[in-house]
Amino acid sequence: MRNSAWMTENSGMIRLWDWPVRLVHWSMAALIPLMWWTAEEGELERHRQLGLALLFLVLFRLAWGFMGSETARFSSFVRGPRAIADYLAGRSAAPLGHNPLGALSVVALLALVVGQLALGMVAQDEYGMVTGPLNFLVTAEVGEAATEIHEALFNGIIALVALHVAAILYYQFVKRDNLIGPMLSGRKAVNASVAEPRRAGFGALIGALVIAGALTSWIAWGVPPLGG
Amino acid sequence: MIMSTKRAFLVAAAAALLTMPTMAAAPGTIKARQDNFKAMGRSMKMIGDELKKDAPAFAVIRREAAALEKAGARIGKYFPKGSGPEAGVKTEALPAIWQKPADFRAATANLNHATKGLRTAAAGTDASKVRTAVGATFGTCKACHEKFRLDD
Repeated sequence: MRNSAWMTENSGMIRLWDWPVRLVHWSMAALIPLMWWTAEEGELERHRQLGLALLFLVLFRLAWGFMGSETARFSSFVRGPRAIADYLAGRSAAPLGHNPLGALSVVALLALVVGQLALGMVAQDEYGMVTGPLNFLVTAEVGEAATEIHEALFNGIIALVALHVAAILYYQFVKRDNLIGPMLSGRKAVNASVAEPRRAGFGALIGALVIAGALTSWIAWGVPPLGG
Repeated sequence: MIMSTKRAFLVAAAAALLTMPTMAAAPGTIKARQDNFKAMGRSMKMIGDELKKDAPAFAVIRREAAALEKAGARIGKYFPKGSGPEAGVKTEALPAIWQKPADFRAATANLNHATKGLRTAAAGTDASKVRTAVGATFGTCKACHEKFRLDD
């Protein structure tokens, strides 16, 4: 889908976040607490299933970061320290999507969740019975160590999520910039006639879904034929 | 039983003397039993790992099934009086173990029965039979932990 210029110029509303970005975002917001809860309750079979769902979502989001809509692409929002400093000092205007500092938060959260998923893939319960799909490829010692780090790393995720929510609230109430609304509706009101970010097409969506689906299935099945 | 004061005192003194070494040995006992349980978990994992493969190594399954059975048979001696939470070292053993000794023995016997079944299943080369026996064993682990182990 290409942008519709008339809408941009007449209404001052642009489509900022496409629905895959929003769906992944809110699914993660729901899944991460659920994953904590299932672990806490010892519902590890369910924890494992949800983990694979999260793996699929994150892999899709990573693929979408390269082939998705403009504001979803890492190349459109990941910036160096110079750009972050300029943004913080007010020397550069906030871009449409993620600002340079927020981009760091996106990358850090994604990286931590990827690390957590990787550890979860080789983690195991105390019985060695409910295990991550790749746990059978490592020794019990490695599986136990991975499980301990998996538990500890969740504190890092809590810290980053807390920082993320605090930043959103700061923008909402101090800077008077509503970031939550656009993440729900996908639309953002803009003052001037700003060109709507380019949106990815159906082909890219299918491509990202296939990549994420194939990788998730491969891991869930124990990376055949490597697993033996 | 009715006892004279003197006799009761002697019995108490003897009991105190008998339990003293137990109390002192408790941390060592607790460590040994935790290691034993940990080893059981590792045996379970190694059997599970084989069952996930297209061609399970039955030699590994047999070895670990035998180790599991032996470790399970040792459980009884790892819970002397005084080796519970009162021992002053970190343990998830609940007082219920000593309050309901018959139930605890029964739970242990269930495990021993299940691991015997696992050893028998592992003697053959039918992975599905091993899988069923592993499931039964796992069930006895969880059932006992639910009643006698602290849920952290």
